Amino acid sequence: MPAIHYLRIWLACVRYSLVRMMMFRADFIMWSLVEVFWVMVNLMLIGVIYRHTDSIAGWGPYEMLLLFGTSRLLQGMLMGFFWSSLFEMGRNIRTGQFDFTLAQPGNPLFMAATRKLDMDSLVNVIASAGIVIYAVHKLGLHPGALDLALYAALLGSGLVIHFAALLLITSATFWLIGTQGIEGSYFTLFDFARLPREAFRGVASLFFVYGLPAVIASNIPASALLHGFNPGHALWLALTAAGWLALAIFVFNRGLKRYSSASS
Amino acid sequence: MRTAFHKYRHVFLVGVQSNLVYRWNFAIRATFSLFHLIAAVTLWRAAFAGQTDIGGFSLAETLTYFVTLMVLQFFIGAFNEDYQVSEEIRNGLINQFLLKPVNYFAYRFTLFVSARTISGLLVLVPLALAMPFLHEYLTLPSDPWRLWMGLPALAMSAVIQFGIAFCFGLLSFWFLEIQSFVILSFAVETVLGGQVFPLDLLPAGLFRISQFLPYYYQMYFPAAILTGRIATPAEAAVGLGIQACWVVALLGLIHVLWTRGLRRHTAVGG
Repeated sequence: MPAIHYLRIWLACVRYSLVRMMMFRADFIMWSLVEVFWVMVNLMLIGVIYRHTDSIAGWGPYEMLLLFGTSRLLQGMLMGFFWSSLFEMGRNIRTGQFDFTLAQPGNPLFMAATRKLDMDSLVNVIASAGIVIYAVHKLGLHPGALDLALYAALLGSGLVIHFAALLLITSATFWLIGTQGIEGSYFTLFDFARLPREAFRGVASLFFVYGLPAVIASNIPASALLHGFNPGHALWLALTAAGWLALAIFVFNRGLKRYSSASS
Repeated sequence: MRTAFHKYRHVFLVGVQSNLVYRWNFAIRATFSLFHLIAAVTLWRAAFAGQTDIGGFSLAETLTYFVTLMVLQFFIGAFNEDYQVSEEIRNGLINQFLLKPVNYFAYRFTLFVSARTISGLLVLVPLALAMPFLHEYLTLPSDPWRLWMGLPALAMSAVIQFGIAFCFGLLSFWFLEIQSFVILSFAVETVLGGQVFPLDLLPAGLFRISQFLPYYYQMYFPAAILTGRIATPAEAAVGLGIQACWVVALLGLIHVLWTRGLRRHTAVGG
């Protein structure tokens, strides 16, 4: 199927999600409040810690704010564009309703991963972008158009890592039918994304920086804004994103072969 | 009294059995909690670099607080009791309790106690496995008063945790969907219950206000008694008094919501 058709399908999904949001306006407002409140909770944590210290692993308060905003941007985009669809995919595999997705004329992963958009999470993206802009302003940084484009490209690579991790976790449902709520483990693993890379030492650094890519997914884009573009780091991030995505697609396809549908 | 004890003893035993079915879910959840703990250790260790104390407490004391919170969460925290109550109201399953000589609150609370007994014991397994890495960071005060004041604080915290969840569940008499209320409340409880940072690190005025809110007594208060963040028995006694007031207030609120909710409730079917 040509790419233009997939774009049309995706736009139809965007329209459907917008209509659904307008139907449940109160729900949208409530969930948006929830998202904003969670951002405030994390801002409070940063505020409280920096009341008592000047630096966390060499990062000052506004640098930390920039890192936090970047990690929330990534999570907000993942939640907004993919979370509901992948969460539903896990549930549908368990109940056998995944047949419906497989019967659609298109790539199963595309159809499963892009069906629903969460508009309230996209509100979170706007709030997070606001935090990044505020931090950049307070730090006295003046990024040019190229810097912003590179930051966006690095964010894109980070988003691929988040997506791949969530797809891997959700694909486990093909094998672990009884493990309901396994998708929540994504939040546990990506809790590390808001921490500076320099805070990890020894074995923890090996595991959480080089093994689990949550830390570099947020740290490398934030560092690019703070200290300028580093081609070595960008390559590291891009290769990690490509590797994790390839692994996630491989596991998803292996799971598809295992899926036996709900037909009786 | 004796009949009631036997009745709820059976509920407790059934609850233990049904929760043992989900032992792997609890074990996985407990293991993932260790990741949260690692994130907390990493953050606070970095924050303590170059200084011996933050807010008057050492790194070891601060990390002991977070480890204690993690364990308490599995012993007294409300997990999904709000959703269970909500489901029973929305699906009409609650009707059977209206016809039987069973107090629904007592029934649900007994199930909560059985579930936390199992999850609390299960969290000790990953904790024991992590102890070789954690023990150098742990330091618990040995004053005996902390134990005999901490235990009632823990018991009342469990009632407050469950009571708040039960109240949200009862909202299903009025609202079809309570998830957004629950998540919003969870966010408030997480920060004001001291799970994001020890509440004593807040500015003095805000900390004082937090001491009059129920969230303070959900988790922070017993953890603060046990880990030394509350310094004197007198301070703990005042806290126990306020905590008891919140227990009474919550039980009163539950009674009001239950009786008013039942007036709106319609049982259909035979």
